[in-house]
Amino acid sequence: MKKQTLNFTVNGRAEAIDVTPRTRLLDALRIDLGLTGTKEGCGTGDCGSCTVLLDGNAVNSCMVLALQAEGREITTIEGLGKPGALDPVQQAMVQCGGIQCGFCTPGMALSLKDLFNRNLEPDEEEVRVAISSNLCRCTGYTKIFDAARALRDGTLDTRAANGNDDAIGARMVRTDAVEKVTGSAIYAEDVRLPRMVYGALVRSPLPHANIMSIDTSAAVNHPDVRAVVTGRDIEMGYYGYELQDQRVFALEKVRYLGEPVAAVAAVTPDAAREAAALVKVEYEELPAVFDPEEAMSEDAPLVHEDPNAYHLDWESERKGNLCYRLEFGEGDVEQGFAESDQVIEGTYHTPEAHSGAIEPHSATAMSDPTGRITIWTTTQKPFAVRSYLAKALKRPISTFKVVPTHIGGGFGGKLFPVVEPYVVLLAERSGLPVQMTLSRDEEMAGAMLLRHPSKVSIKTGVMNDGSLVAHQVRMLFNTGAYGPYGPNTAALGSLMAGGPYRIPNLEITGLVTYTNNVPKGSIRCPSGPQMAFAVETHIDKVARAIGMDGLSFRLKNAWEDGDATCTGQPLAAVSLKECLQKAADAVEWDKPSPPGAGKGLACNWWVSGTWGTQTLIETNEDATFRLISGCVDMGTGGLTSSVLQMAAAGLGVPADSIQIARGDTDTLPWDHGHGGSRMTFTIARSAYEAALDLKRQLLEEAAARLEAAPDDMVLEDGRVFVRGDPSNAIGLAEICYNRHKKHGGPMVGVSSLLDDQPPTTKAHPIGGFPAPSFCAHAVELAVDETTGEIDLKRYAAVHDVGKAVNPTGCEGQIEGGVAMGLGLAMMEELREVDGKVLNPSFADYLLISAEDMPPTQTILVEQPAVDGIMGIKGVGEPPIAPPTGAVANALAAALGVDVTHLPLTPEQVSALIAGRNP
Amino acid sequence: MINDFDFTRPRNVSEALAALAHDGCVVPVAGGTNIMVNLKRAPLDADLVVDLSGVEELKSISVNNGRVRLGAGVSFAHLLDWHPGAAIEGLMHPMCVAFAGPLIRNLATVGGNVCDASAAADISPPLLALDAAVELQSAAHGRRTLPLAEFFQGVRRTARRPDELLTAIEFPQPAEDERWFYYKLGKRKADAISIVSIAITLRLEQGKVEHARIALGAVAPVAMRAPEAESLLQGESLDETVINAAAVVAARESRPIDDFRATGAYRRQMVEALVKRGLTEITQQST
Repeated sequence: MKKQTLNFTVNGRAEAIDVTPRTRLLDALRIDLGLTGTKEGCGTGDCGSCTVLLDGNAVNSCMVLALQAEGREITTIEGLGKPGALDPVQQAMVQCGGIQCGFCTPGMALSLKDLFNRNLEPDEEEVRVAISSNLCRCTGYTKIFDAARALRDGTLDTRAANGNDDAIGARMVRTDAVEKVTGSAIYAEDVRLPRMVYGALVRSPLPHANIMSIDTSAAVNHPDVRAVVTGRDIEMGYYGYELQDQRVFALEKVRYLGEPVAAVAAVTPDAAREAAALVKVEYEELPAVFDPEEAMSEDAPLVHEDPNAYHLDWESERKGNLCYRLEFGEGDVEQGFAESDQVIEGTYHTPEAHSGAIEPHSATAMSDPTGRITIWTTTQKPFAVRSYLAKALKRPISTFKVVPTHIGGGFGGKLFPVVEPYVVLLAERSGLPVQMTLSRDEEMAGAMLLRHPSKVSIKTGVMNDGSLVAHQVRMLFNTGAYGPYGPNTAALGSLMAGGPYRIPNLEITGLVTYTNNVPKGSIRCPSGPQMAFAVETHIDKVARAIGMDGLSFRLKNAWEDGDATCTGQPLAAVSLKECLQKAADAVEWDKPSPPGAGKGLACNWWVSGTWGTQTLIETNEDATFRLISGCVDMGTGGLTSSVLQMAAAGLGVPADSIQIARGDTDTLPWDHGHGGSRMTFTIARSAYEAALDLKRQLLEEAAARLEAAPDDMVLEDGRVFVRGDPSNAIGLAEICYNRHKKHGGPMVGVSSLLDDQPPTTKAHPIGGFPAPSFCAHAVELAVDETTGEIDLKRYAAVHDVGKAVNPTGCEGQIEGGVAMGLGLAMMEELREVDGKVLNPSFADYLLISAEDMPPTQTILVEQPAVDGIMGIKGVGEPPIAPPTGAVANALAAALGVDVTHLPLTPEQVSALIAGRNP
Repeated sequence: MINDFDFTRPRNVSEALAALAHDGCVVPVAGGTNIMVNLKRAPLDADLVVDLSGVEELKSISVNNGRVRLGAGVSFAHLLDWHPGAAIEGLMHPMCVAFAGPLIRNLATVGGNVCDASAAADISPPLLALDAAVELQSAAHGRRTLPLAEFFQGVRRTARRPDELLTAIEFPQPAEDERWFYYKLGKRKADAISIVSIAITLRLEQGKVEHARIALGAVAPVAMRAPEAESLLQGESLDETVINAAAVVAARESRPIDDFRATGAYRRQMVEALVKRGLTEITQQST
């Protein structure tokens, strides 16, 4: 290696390090200097998470060779400010809620710093431009704009980052904000172990082919290689979610382009990629099928020989390439159509889409001589990683210890193991710690599970007075080569198929097909944006046909208390009409838009997730507490704000006396994982109940010592006394110390939760939604009728959260969801041709940038849920669903066209304009 | 095995030219934003990388005898801060704002964007509309100047010889009454690769077109001028008929392809629409 010495100044300190000419500045900082606050999201200059200041100017450190920094000054996030001495930019981001997963945060802070170094009074547009290179998938930028405004106007709240108002309903600052804004939070790729080597995958270059032979000898003989493994070397089982149809490596044949065939580990990432290219695989190409309709024809090539061979939790007809089929209904749609004044039909298409998390998948594994394996990984479901690995590799669950790191955005893309099986196998074979991080190309080209593309055909019968009579929906989801979440997506979609409307005659069919496309998964609000687009766009079409306005039509048909859902779940705490009216009011619905502009509405309903969990709260000797939950936080901040707020409220102590335990699957209680809009609805409730349990024990202990009845005891300001006699009190710290050191042992409050599903009248694999939440969005947009470009003028998102435990957190979920939904509406599309993804990068798969985010009004409605606790409803997923429908409806209003395809790119809009009836 | 390349960091142009004269594959790098994109995808096949980012001589902008000279090492952030007058700013500033994002603008150089010779390179249409030429220097053959349109030879191919350094871009200072139009159409407001970009300069003399230059990006293998549309406009007054005819001809001259960003048909349709829009706006521009 031709190393050269690089002399430069980093965070004010002179450094001299030896690097190869190939070394990027990013790697010199992260690996040679250990400054891991600088993150790598893409490596192609498209995401901004590696931003540093180079001689004071913000640049992508992945775009600079380390040796180009000779003699220059670098500031990384570690040099900006420290906990306790944050830079004002960091302070503003912390206090305004501008931080969620934290992966983009260091870069975002440095771009803002660069701006304020040049311009102390930036206007809104200058702020948007300044951070337009820094993609954020969580926040929708809105709270970052707030931070910049507060900084400019000097209106920054001066409360400390911690120890602020922790009451239920207060805007408590999440307790991991400082860690994230200073770059000290450890993410999966920041894990570094002695002697660690790097993994790379050999992937199929063909979408469908028999594997004739695999020759690994050249890779094995590569001097830098430490392990090579294929499916022929190991025992493999099938794993998946409801459907278990996948194995770690393709064995007899490959079913999609990019399917892993072998894995190698070598001393550097470059050497691993080079060695992977030396594995020779001989293929016999097979005819492939990519279109989901063609896949269901009799003579289509079979992706799987027998889909019935795979375990599926639910009953379903499966044959040929049909992976799953679901059918249910109510009344008689044919008779309903016959009785209707008008029958309206439409077919709606949405493309394959990516979660867009800025952090790529990365995991590190280490095997010990007894066979125990530890895996550090970025996962929403640490306990599921264990059970998936157990199935996939045919070992007991207890073989694996999973250590969850901070997660740089999950959005459902980190529900399922993507790199974990390979690092486990390579670590076992090499005897060394092995890390594997997907390249952005791999990440986007389907190495992880993507959002299902959809084709939804709807036929609706309506009376001229606006009553819905009959509604027939056929949903088709292309799940690609494997469908671990295909059945779940169709089942969830079927609950959206009738919208949140009263319809007496209903027929819903869901179909999931295998094809030789890349596999699909369960991305945030699975099926939600697809179905909100189809159903809500169609509902506007129906309203137009009878000459009714979209708002009036929805208000006439929307669910109310006492109605039942399509599966017969009785509804209560329904706030749909309030949400619709508030969204409409926010965009001045009754005021006409100018020519070429239009307004649109869409609404939706969604689940508040349950699934099993257990929470413990344990005393420390000094009356501080440990909150021990196995649920990780994928970045929303629910765990580090609302869960703590609820625990503090239950216990009657300040939130800053409760520390969230960071552990692993050996030490934390079992939990289902972060997803399904369950953090506040279920985990915070569980924390509250555990806190009540501990408080009861504390009061009993105090009561025994004061010789009083537990019911007469009061806990206030860290002291316990008999009601009315505060002078004779025992300190909580004394109680705890005594229990820990003298008798009885530490005290622990426990809550184990798993609620029954809500009652329904129809047989359905999911059934109903616990504590359903409701939302409505409205948008006003203008169209450039020459180019087809859409300009979003203003946006309103109204969500019924039941009870906003932390309004900042709720708004953050909504604003980030709006951004993601607008991306799906206007620009996000993975274009796959013959099984090959053509745009696997953040340069060509576009996420909404700060410049694209419209002025957004976020309105919280609090109609308390009947289920759960304190009326709380989930809010994590639903905000991404309505934007697709709202934008399509506004566009239809502006142009007088029927919108049938997403995304609404300039070209797509231009085609709608060209096809418009004159 | 991946061969690591050698790396040298010349301090001035003559050291840079000496480095470029080395045998083997010599790759000049300035802002780095073109080569670094591919560094992790495929090993950079080079024997020597010549880092130009320390060559201060390449970073100046000057105006002499009616000619503007942009050093090849001028960054897009620098270009955005430069205020040389209405016509140049009218083309360059919106182009710079549409060029990637602020992070890349702090690194990427005008010379690098020209040498990349991508059909969608943002700087090409404004430079073609300003009738720019490139200055190339080598240790062996000294200095030569080439019209930009001749410098571009094909998809990511230029007339630069391996030992040559693109040192500057020059163009005549536009007249006081020069009119202009610039538009970049992408799929996102910030940091999007062009579907179509267009730059026009035009001067009227007594109501007739004295010259018109229409430059188009992302609609042919290299950024192009639309010479037939330009000559159609020559000597004419800019009425609706002439504008429409020029727009149709420019669209016919373009040679766009289908890709995942847009179809060729849409690109061609946009050439016509944007030439029409540009010429119409130009008629309303006060000079």
